[in-house]
Amino acid sequence: MRDLIANDSRSIMSAGDGVKTTQGAFCALFALLIFLTFGSQLHGRTLRVGLTQNPPKTYWDEHGEAAGIFVDILNHIATAEGWEIEYHKDNWDNNLRLLQIGELDLVPDVAYSSERAKLLDFHQSPVLFSWTQLYARKGNAIKSFEDLDGLRLAVLHNSIQANVLSDMITGFGMNSSLVTADTFEDVLALVQDHKADVAATNNYFGRMNALRYNLEETGILFEPASLFFAAPKGRNAEILDTIDQHIIQLKRRPDTVYYKILRKHSSEAQEYRIPLWIIWGGSILLVTLVLSMVGAVLFKHQVRKRTAELMQANLEMEQRIEERTEELALAMHKAQVADMLKSAFLATMSHELRTPLNSVIGFTGILLKEMPGALNPEQLKMLKIVQTSGRHLLSLINDVLDISKIEAGELELHYTELELAPLLEKVISTMGAQAQEKGIELILKAGESPRTIHTDGRRLDQVLFNLLGNAVKFTLTGHVCLSSFEHEGLLHLSIEDTGIGIPADMLDKLFQPFMQVEMGMDRKYEGSGLGLFISQKIIGKMGGEISVTSEVGIGSNFTIILPLRGEELSCKKPSSS
Amino acid sequence: MQKTVLIIEDNRDNYFLMQYLLEREDFRVMGADSGWLGIEMALYNIPDIILLDIQLPGMDGYTVMRRLRATPELAEIPIVAVSSYAMVGHRELAMACGASGYIEKPIDPDKFSEEIQAFLRSQK
Repeated sequence: MRDLIANDSRSIMSAGDGVKTTQGAFCALFALLIFLTFGSQLHGRTLRVGLTQNPPKTYWDEHGEAAGIFVDILNHIATAEGWEIEYHKDNWDNNLRLLQIGELDLVPDVAYSSERAKLLDFHQSPVLFSWTQLYARKGNAIKSFEDLDGLRLAVLHNSIQANVLSDMITGFGMNSSLVTADTFEDVLALVQDHKADVAATNNYFGRMNALRYNLEETGILFEPASLFFAAPKGRNAEILDTIDQHIIQLKRRPDTVYYKILRKHSSEAQEYRIPLWIIWGGSILLVTLVLSMVGAVLFKHQVRKRTAELMQANLEMEQRIEERTEELALAMHKAQVADMLKSAFLATMSHELRTPLNSVIGFTGILLKEMPGALNPEQLKMLKIVQTSGRHLLSLINDVLDISKIEAGELELHYTELELAPLLEKVISTMGAQAQEKGIELILKAGESPRTIHTDGRRLDQVLFNLLGNAVKFTLTGHVCLSSFEHEGLLHLSIEDTGIGIPADMLDKLFQPFMQVEMGMDRKYEGSGLGLFISQKIIGKMGGEISVTSEVGIGSNFTIILPLRGEELSCKKPSSS
Repeated sequence: MQKTVLIIEDNRDNYFLMQYLLEREDFRVMGADSGWLGIEMALYNIPDIILLDIQLPGMDGYTVMRRLRATPELAEIPIVAVSSYAMVGHRELAMACGASGYIEKPIDPDKFSEEIQAFLRSQK
């Protein structure tokens, strides 16, 4: 111990020399002055320090002694400054509260945040740099955030990791779930026991313990934080200044106590064996009294090399975190921008294209009703064409919008309890005029059907209109029949016609977008060719399916099979942009 | 007694369309092309019913609806959202914001004034 202290004062002295050469004599003199002044004032003072069980940063060892990275560093500074330290054991919240009211002089391991800076004082140079690291079972292939899709993530209950991960899952629209535990040990154990796939802990805890649970680091780390000693607001500025001086000096050179402490506390279980072995070997060397000088040199070299490595690793880690954090922020931003553009595009398309069409269709309707005055037959015929084309254009726009929504995964269903019979009657009566014009009989056959169904009525309407519309469109003579019946808890709706039919080789292509069975050279049946594609997607989302049988020249039969009680799969709020 | 309809709609053509159909049915029709103006006009000439477009410049229809509902003199007036929003869920959102009804554009000249009459009657 005496040896250690001697070593330390030496390192502080030499670091002080470094200040002179790098920042000028004046600064060093000033710093030294402050250092000496405060040193003398605070000498012999007792500091009350709040401690929480959070190995390896701060904890109580098996003998009930305060231990940990922060404790070792503070003890080191206290020895140099002649402070007495009294550790107060309590949970995190209590410690912070006692610190705020001045019952405690210091609390270690406090992450800086602007909110906390309003209530507490911090020194300048962080003691540690910490982050959240994800761990998974050995041999995992988790490299980036996207790899977490569909996995179960173990987190500490109510922790910052839990909040961040849940925000990210929502932000990226991922299908992952959170599993919570009360201690970091349990978080790791959940993954070891296959009750979760990925564990989130702070990097210090993870490094110390992951190996014990047969887990290893993934490539994912986030939420970097700088950790400090904190003091009550405006009370212990001189203590913080002194701590700061020491931290700056300690971190400047790789052979200081600081890095020894870090190495002591942050090596993995496996790595403990190496220094033990070296010590063992060293003692043998001592006993044999051979090459004691060489042994010392070797040992020192090893230590220096390892501390340098540690410093390098620390630096690389910090860089990695910065890079990852930037990448993540960028990816998140890009995704949000794309999402906003998509929604804005859909809303604008919907409004800007439909608004002028509304007045075209509306005024044509007024003229056709001869509200402003009588029309001659020729005007009537032309206006009918305007109206039909207007409606056709509107349905094309609606189809394109539906497709965009389907592609964007934004097709939403709104379920309500509906009476089946009125729904079917409405569809039949709306199609009635069109069928009558062509001289086709439109039949509604209601078999053993349930009285009500739980479904999205508007979307079911849309599908029925589409299928009935197609049937009427492709039928020249005969009839179109809509029938409904219940079979094994499923609703069957079938639309049967005596139309032109569909060639067998075209049947499987029927539900692809922009598909219309061509008849000869001219495309005599209008339509976007999107209707069946959309209908199939809608019914699919409702948990049902559409099937078709057909024979050229005889007719076609489309059958929808739907669960009677559709479950709402999506509960996203409608966007109001 | 002649009923007053306030139409809040920024598209002139669509406004004329509704005005034409309603005046034929002997409504007194007033128009505002923004939410702000609409709320002002409603306060000065308490209408019997308000027809409200959802996508308006500046303040959108949902906000206009909430403001109308929050104004004691106007809170009881039936509001019918008339919108060409094809997005599913907008009807639900409009109703949640306090709309008494929702008419999707394009409006049907045959049924439009009848629907408005029905909303007026149902409020009695």
